[in-house]
Amino acid sequence: MKSCSDSSSLLASPSRRAFLRGVPVVTAAAAVAPTPAIAATGRHQWAMLVDVRKCIGCQACTVSCIQENGVPEGSFRTVVSTYSVKLTDSAQPAGTYVLPRLCNHCDNPPCIPVCPVGATYKRDDGIVAVDGDRCVGCAYCVQACPYDARFINHETNKADKCTFCAHRVDAGLLPACVETCVGGARIFGDINDPNGELARRLKEAQPQLKALKPELETSPRVFYIGLDERFSGKVEGEGTLWKPRNLQSTAHG
Amino acid sequence: MNPNIVETINVAREVAWLPWAVQYFFLIGLSYGAFLLSLPGIVFRRPTWGGVSRLALLGALVCGLSAPVALLADLHQPGRFWHFYAYFTPTSWMSWGAFFIPIYLGGLIVYGWLAFRPDLARHAASGGRLAGVAGTLAYGGHESRGALKAAALLAFVGAALVALYTGVEVAVVRARPLWNTPLLPVQFFITALAGATGLALVFNRFSSRDAAHTLTLSRVLAATQALALAIGALWLALGVSGLSPVHAKALAEVGPSANWQISAVWAAAATALTLLLAWKRPGSGLLVGLLALHSAWMMRWSIFIGGQEVPKTGAGYYSYSLPLGPEGLMGIVGTAGLWIFLFVLITSLLPLDRIAAGAADKAGV
Ligand code: SF4
Ligand code: SF4
Repeated sequence: MKSCSDSSSLLASPSRRAFLRGVPVVTAAAAVAPTPAIAATGRHQWAMLVDVRKCIGCQACTVSCIQENGVPEGSFRTVVSTYSVKLTDSAQPAGTYVLPRLCNHCDNPPCIPVCPVGATYKRDDGIVAVDGDRCVGCAYCVQACPYDARFINHETNKADKCTFCAHRVDAGLLPACVETCVGGARIFGDINDPNGELARRLKEAQPQLKALKPELETSPRVFYIGLDERFSGKVEGEGTLWKPRNLQSTAHG
Repeated sequence: MNPNIVETINVAREVAWLPWAVQYFFLIGLSYGAFLLSLPGIVFRRPTWGGVSRLALLGALVCGLSAPVALLADLHQPGRFWHFYAYFTPTSWMSWGAFFIPIYLGGLIVYGWLAFRPDLARHAASGGRLAGVAGTLAYGGHESRGALKAAALLAFVGAALVALYTGVEVAVVRARPLWNTPLLPVQFFITALAGATGLALVFNRFSSRDAAHTLTLSRVLAATQALALAIGALWLALGVSGLSPVHAKALAEVGPSANWQISAVWAAAATALTLLLAWKRPGSGLLVGLLALHSAWMMRWSIFIGGQEVPKTGAGYYSYSLPLGPEGLMGIVGTAGLWIFLFVLITSLLPLDRIAAGAADKAGV
């Protein structure tokens, strides 16, 4: 399988590029940059690199994921969180920061040990999956995931989340979100394949490689380039203005 | 909150542990708390505790029998509850809980039956409502102290395990700083005991109205409220001072929310008022009883539903509004209905007055 090519022909809008200049990537954190360990098994170990600098916030991934996986209305396995950020060092008042989120397929996933029936498990290839035949829908895993990556699917009444499109990966295809990413911001591949696109890009990006909530030591398998520190944990800011329909929960600041 | 960042698009996650879960934690807490209150009078035969302990045992049974139904209803696949027993997972506190609950309830039911057996026989002899059924259940109506103590011991072990797992199960969730504090299980335990005392006070009010019972229970209640306040203060001190990072994180998570500030002031005021009344006016049995029950429920509602209103990655807070269907209000009304049904059922066989009076009740002898 080939990783997604580095297509950067579609660049972010000028305003966003200006914003990104206003948000310096903090390099002091380089010392704690996650190191994608090459698994010793010699088998595939799937992972993803999200190059935030290339994301244009179009939500093509969000939509293709819903289409591919039949995600019920109001639920999401992936979404591009979008923030309006006030700029102080620019002529324009505000810029946009976008952050694609999905299950991190953590190497030390807090969602697995809590599952009372062993329905959540890690496949040999690193994908964290839910055995739908076993899941009792207790939602303990939903509570334990520090990334809000899980939810209870109202159609199946079971735990649901991103599977890295395991059904596609198993058939030699890329995850739907990677396939449709307009900006080429999502790179998927095997960290065990030293010549693969992903391993190469991870190596190149090493000094500025980051993961979400590194302090929790979950060892995410989703890595980010261009992740602003202010967005790597719970974001301090005013709450969501937009919310999906049919939700009982609304959001406020 | 950083006013320079506004989240324009993100997912608002729904609460995944529903009001059913609040009801479960409330009822199982009341049950083990009431079970503990049943011990001094029934097992240790402390003279001032006789009626109090018997009323408490009634509470332990009614709450204990309705709690698992609420737990089952909180599963999104209730028909698969047997998976808990088929796929034991030792890393999960919830998995252990599935085994602790039957230990506790098994012990409690046998203990309750042994304790109330003579009363059932008395009720049968008096020819009251359902006297025939009471007679059958009494099965001779003998008092067997040895068996009673053994059953009480089993129930005690079960109660301790249930108290442990219900607290730790929530406290280990690192992803929710509000839950992830070592004090949480202690707070659950103290408020459970207080709520159970409140329940016994309410039962007493509607049965013998025994002033001595009220006094005994008020003393216990005052002690629990003083403890609850002390632990609350410790929680706050650890958070504010930053001495304990987990408490500081918990405080930072909810501190800025106006809803949470109101909840905190409300809880502290209700606890202080209950303490004051139970201490200075120990006769106000019904009022303090209801206050204690309300505090125990509110605490769980705030922790579970309020805790899930805090996004783990997104900005701000989600605000929960109670849906009217099975995902929301029905969970509360349904468990309340079941509770009332069980209460009526048990008190039909064993009228409340008879329970309160115990061996002193000579009606049918
Ligand atoms: S992101 Fe959440 S759901 Fe995904 S593996 Fe990590 S803990 Fe589990
Ligand atoms: S919801 Fe399903 S997968 Fe999640 S912890 Fe419960 S049984 Fe396991």
